[in-house]
Amino acid sequence: MDKLANRLRQDADNIEVAVSDELDHRIAASLRSVTPEAESVTAPASRRPAMFWWASSLTGIAAAAAVIVIVNTQQPAEAPTPTPANIVAAVPVIDWKTETATLTGQLQQELDDLQSDIKKAEQKVREDIGL
Amino acid sequence: MRTEIQLVEAAQAGSVEAFTDLVRRYRDRLLRFLLTRCASYADAEDALQDTLINAFRYIRSYDSRWRFSTWLYRIAIRNAAKLHAPDIVEIGDLSDEENDPLMHCIADSESENLWISARNLLNDEVFAAMWLRYAEDMSVNDISKALDRSASWTKVNLMRGRRVLDAEMNGTKEESEAYG
Repeated sequence: MDKLANRLRQDADNIEVAVSDELDHRIAASLRSVTPEAESVTAPASRRPAMFWWASSLTGIAAAAAVIVIVNTQQPAEAPTPTPANIVAAVPVIDWKTETATLTGQLQQELDDLQSDIKKAEQKVREDIGL
Repeated sequence: MRTEIQLVEAAQAGSVEAFTDLVRRYRDRLLRFLLTRCASYADAEDALQDTLINAFRYIRSYDSRWRFSTWLYRIAIRNAAKLHAPDIVEIGDLSDEENDPLMHCIADSESENLWISARNLLNDEVFAAMWLRYAEDMSVNDISKALDRSASWTKVNLMRGRRVLDAEMNGTKEESEAYG
């Protein structure tokens, strides 16, 4: 034993402590009021080999790494950050009190024009074939 | 005279007498250890009582692959940790010699007791490891079990503790990190 170990051992021995009779009786009285608890039921040891745990861990780590790589390599081009002004401009302003005729007026005009074009085209075809 | 294993088996069957015989040889040592962690002698006695009551209560969970003393110290350390505030004093806080219960129990010696210095220089876990190694002659494996630490942690911290106390003993300044 080296010098330090000897000194520590000696100094520990120099700490003079003893359990008093009073403490002894107190402990004995306390112990009589205690009943050992039933042994806790422990889970049965796993029958899987240790390699199973390692294989599962490695598979998990590999899967996590693959997800990280895929997510990082397929990032979309960075979209311009919309400013509040852009957002306001992009949102169409709808006059909810507008009459239905007003909303469908342009479509109706477009339909009339198309029907007119069809009639003109039909008439031209008839003339061409001599009807 | 019954062996330790026989006493353990009898205690597990509920015999208070067997348990009392079993722990008789450890009580003074446990009290001495707890005294290094308590603010007063009375607190150390209370901590010992709680430790022994807990040990008896859970004696059926004792695994005979452990040394009984290791199991007992583990309970004592856990119990001391539970009582840490305000009864158990952080190591290093006991600078007032008049109120330090440990100082009252140290026999006159030509040199200062190194455990007093150890308590001021080491954190409580490293102190406990050093105590179990050098005051109780426990193996590294048993200390690891008692402290619920790895064997490598125990080895490293025993080495650090030794270095600090060696410097203290030889009066050289150890400019190492604060252990915590």
